[in-house]
Amino acid sequence: MNISYNWLKDLINIELSADETAAALTRVGLAVEGIHAFGDDKVFDIDLTSNRPDCLSHLGVARELRVITGNAFPAKPRSREEDAAEAVPFPSLLAPDVVKIEDPDLCYRFTARIIRGVKIGPSPEWLVKRLESVGERSINNVADITNYVMLELGQPMHAFDLDKLAEKRIVVRRAKPGEGITTLDEVERKLDESMLTICDAEKPVAVGGVMGGLESSITESTVNVLLEVAYFDRSSIRHTSRKLGLATEASYRFERGVDIENLSRASDRAAELIVELAGGRLDDFVDVYPNRLTAPVVVSNDISRAVRRLTGLDVPVNECLRILTGLGITSEKQDDSSLRFTSPTWRHDIAIEEDLVEEVARHAGYENIANELPPAFEAGEYQASEARKKLLRQKLADIGFDEAISYSFIDTKFDGQYEPVPGIVDEKLDDKFVTLRDSVIEAAVRMRPTLLPGLLDSIRFNLNHQRRDLKLFEIGKIFANSAGENSMPAEREVFGLAITGGELLQKHLEPVRALDFYDAKGAVEAALEAVGFPSAEFRVSEIDHLRLGQSAGVYIDGGLVGSVGRLNEAISASYKFRAPVFVAEIDLEAVLARNTAGVFYHPLPKYPSVVRDVSFIVGRDTTFDTVRDAVVDQGSDICRNIGFVDVFEGKGVADGKRSLTVRFEYRSDERTLVEDEVADAHGRILETLGNTLGIVPRG
Amino acid sequence: MNIETESFTFDDVKAEAKEYQRWVAETLDTLTRPAFERFMHFYLDHASVLDFGEERLSSGHIFGGTEPSQNEWIDRIEAGRVRFTGRKSGIAKLKSKVGQLSLEERPLFGEDVRKLGKLLDYSLEFLINFARNEVVENETERNRLDVTLPGRRPRTGHLHPITILRQKIEDIFVSMGYAIEDDREIETDYYNFDALNIPENHPARESQDTFYTTEGFALRSQTSTVQIRAMERRGVPIRIIAPGKVFRRDTPDMTHVPMFHQIEGLCVDKGITMAHLKGTVTEWLKRLFGDDTVTRFRPSYFPFTEPSAEFDFSCFKCHGTGTVGSWQKAGGGQDDPQTAAGTQQTERCRPCKGSGWIELGGSGMVHPNVLKGVGIDPQAYSGFAFGFGLERMAALMFNIDDIRHMFENDVRFLEQFR
Repeated sequence: MNISYNWLKDLINIELSADETAAALTRVGLAVEGIHAFGDDKVFDIDLTSNRPDCLSHLGVARELRVITGNAFPAKPRSREEDAAEAVPFPSLLAPDVVKIEDPDLCYRFTARIIRGVKIGPSPEWLVKRLESVGERSINNVADITNYVMLELGQPMHAFDLDKLAEKRIVVRRAKPGEGITTLDEVERKLDESMLTICDAEKPVAVGGVMGGLESSITESTVNVLLEVAYFDRSSIRHTSRKLGLATEASYRFERGVDIENLSRASDRAAELIVELAGGRLDDFVDVYPNRLTAPVVVSNDISRAVRRLTGLDVPVNECLRILTGLGITSEKQDDSSLRFTSPTWRHDIAIEEDLVEEVARHAGYENIANELPPAFEAGEYQASEARKKLLRQKLADIGFDEAISYSFIDTKFDGQYEPVPGIVDEKLDDKFVTLRDSVIEAAVRMRPTLLPGLLDSIRFNLNHQRRDLKLFEIGKIFANSAGENSMPAEREVFGLAITGGELLQKHLEPVRALDFYDAKGAVEAALEAVGFPSAEFRVSEIDHLRLGQSAGVYIDGGLVGSVGRLNEAISASYKFRAPVFVAEIDLEAVLARNTAGVFYHPLPKYPSVVRDVSFIVGRDTTFDTVRDAVVDQGSDICRNIGFVDVFEGKGVADGKRSLTVRFEYRSDERTLVEDEVADAHGRILETLGNTLGIVPRG
Repeated sequence: MNIETESFTFDDVKAEAKEYQRWVAETLDTLTRPAFERFMHFYLDHASVLDFGEERLSSGHIFGGTEPSQNEWIDRIEAGRVRFTGRKSGIAKLKSKVGQLSLEERPLFGEDVRKLGKLLDYSLEFLINFARNEVVENETERNRLDVTLPGRRPRTGHLHPITILRQKIEDIFVSMGYAIEDDREIETDYYNFDALNIPENHPARESQDTFYTTEGFALRSQTSTVQIRAMERRGVPIRIIAPGKVFRRDTPDMTHVPMFHQIEGLCVDKGITMAHLKGTVTEWLKRLFGDDTVTRFRPSYFPFTEPSAEFDFSCFKCHGTGTVGSWQKAGGGQDDPQTAAGTQQTERCRPCKGSGWIELGGSGMVHPNVLKGVGIDPQAYSGFAFGFGLERMAALMFNIDDIRHMFENDVRFLEQFR
């Protein structure tokens, strides 16, 4: 909102310079964002908060200055007593003949002033300059005057060419189906029953409180004017303005709230100026006021105490009252010595004692409020999972992962491509995923049921910027609809990762080797270990978005918590990835909800162990886990450990087979084992493996 | 001891010494200049053992064309040892001659031979030692490393700047007695608006600003929703910090993103005033930006607080002056202000745009309707709340010009933060 310093000085005596005035206004909450010179004037660009529509005028800002300066308003801002418009009381009985409000719930008050014999022409220079100083363009004398009075008093108004109104009368009603209007901006608009219109006897002539119609507007040939000054329901104006996509200076003010008791003053002021600048004589004034607003009343036992209680400021009652009175908030002593404050009709934001406290506090000055810390309370708390999430993040960063944060909404095209972590998506639902009504990013209306598309988008983004060796992870929520009437969507915190390219060393520019499945698996193991689960299990699994044979389900204590593997060909191709990409996604919430196993110390071995490394020729379907499990099942009491040494395919190994080298460790807690015992136990184990799995040591 | 022939009495001992002297000179002549210099160093270091006659060695020396290999040298000296101290050597012959001499000559001649023998032993050992030392030195030289090459360790990854900042701020507030809270990101209108005293017709409630799901739920547009849920769960007194994602329908541009992170604080107790709000906000900003940080509160409007205030803090870069000094070298370009000729220039501070203040967030005393909504008596309790956006703060702190980078996950961006 542009406010002219000189204009303000017309309304109230200001001893402060323009800069000082700006600083003083900012201090009380009317933030002056900029000051620019306009001739000998200074213009303030004031950023108003939405609760202060009363300051959308010079009068409103002057009221704040009344409190700041302590000066009173002069009795009459401009003395034109001879021309002053005398209210011409109109017989209320006849009023409906001129103005009829059919929807008083949308139009609380409507005044119409008839001015006859005007001459439309250019505005005098002072008026043109005034408007230009605050960034408004001059149109003609009558239009300029309505604009001027709005900027001065905050009340929007509209001038009709009386002779273009059918039957020269006004009906305020909702639009009828099929009705339309061409507004002043020469746009033809369709109206509907939800919109309030100002009509003549036949048709809409203005969209109430938003914009006038072109047909009934003032032109150079206009002689008789009907000046509308009205008060409309705020939400109705907002609704109509939004629905038409038409926001105007008028709608902006009406939807925030104007001063319903200021209507006749504003009408008088405009009429007086029209008579002065465009000639003509005043005729009937009709004031239809079917829906009175009651001014909010706040009762306060001790306003000074209330101010102290909420702000710590010590403001004596007299100073509180001076500030409030200056702002137009009147007080009245009650029998019980409490005060009854009445909000002025231009304020729509005073309803409770706290509102009064703010008025006092902002004028007493926030800078005068002390800096204090509240008394000690109790120890702070991190979120229960934060310590472990911190460890997880740090662990992944330590092994080369960069942390990603992606938008929570993704494209619907990813639907069905990915298999989300178990237990979040309800497969029985028709509408499994949470969908936004619309988005600001093309097609991104799906609340992500998986982090992977976001991570893969990021992988592609980096590949496009010549970064080929990538390790990214993200911790964030995924979403899915849940069954049940009105039940809120499920939210689950998960972590995901995506890797491609080669293993990088710090400050080495070329990778040392290509990344593969085991790097992704290793990262998942490291992450789970960091949060207390060092022995997650990886089982061969078929996962929608992973390539068969390079995918595993991740289990903790037998419970499935996610998956890891190589991204399948279809998805890889859709991203045009040339190098393999490996991804994992783990239900972090499910993991963190589990109990971690405590540490249980084993006494150090007293006797030496004997190890045997054996290379087996195995088919690709025989996994290390199956070999280990078979050995464990065999139940040798001296075979204490079985571990992985090496796996090899190629030269010397038949096609379709692998050479798997496994280390057996034999040990007893009672004695040093003799060679024969070990050979015996080892022989029996190999025999069992041969019998159960059909695998034999490499010759 | 000197290998000068003059120190010997008998001619054939002198002749043998001369022969050896010649062999040493020839041997040393095979050294290249650098090898010879190394020899001289070695020689001077061990001068007490033997005297080859320094002046003679350093003048009139012929340098061999090629540096003999270590083994060649050792072989040559071993051959010398055999030649001069072996069974067929001159000294062996001289020793056997001792017994044939008369009793008068014997002791004197014997002494000469013994002296020459000892000299040869010392001298040859010295040359062998030098040769071996050369081997070691050469080995060392061949194994010389470039210690400035990068060490070997996995590349270190990076946490997201938002995580880094959030953790820092959480640490500060936990140390100030606050509990960290988070909750749902998809919310009902009740938690997102009604409970926060945001009236039905408030612009924030329009779908222009808030994302809605097809089922009519809202993506939370501020983490104040967490305050409500925490007060319902924990009651009062309460001190919490709610960091989390929030969503607003802004089309992405340099300063807007439709998803960002917010941190909100809430403190409700008996006797809480705006002075506590100011003190708390000032304190945590001091802990983050330094003790000289000052804050400024300006009246504002938020539906969920009354009175309301926006808060600014003195710019961390220019410390509130609005300008930063830069050194302009006389010839242009930057240089060390201590030594270079030039002038101190000031330019407008970037983070605060020259105002000296950084506008950070909103705050105020919790609106009584908000307290009543969660069953807290606003007559008995009062509280303050404040909130600010992490992306904006990170952008200011790290001098990030385009806020969209926050969600592109460009590694070139991410790896700049620690």
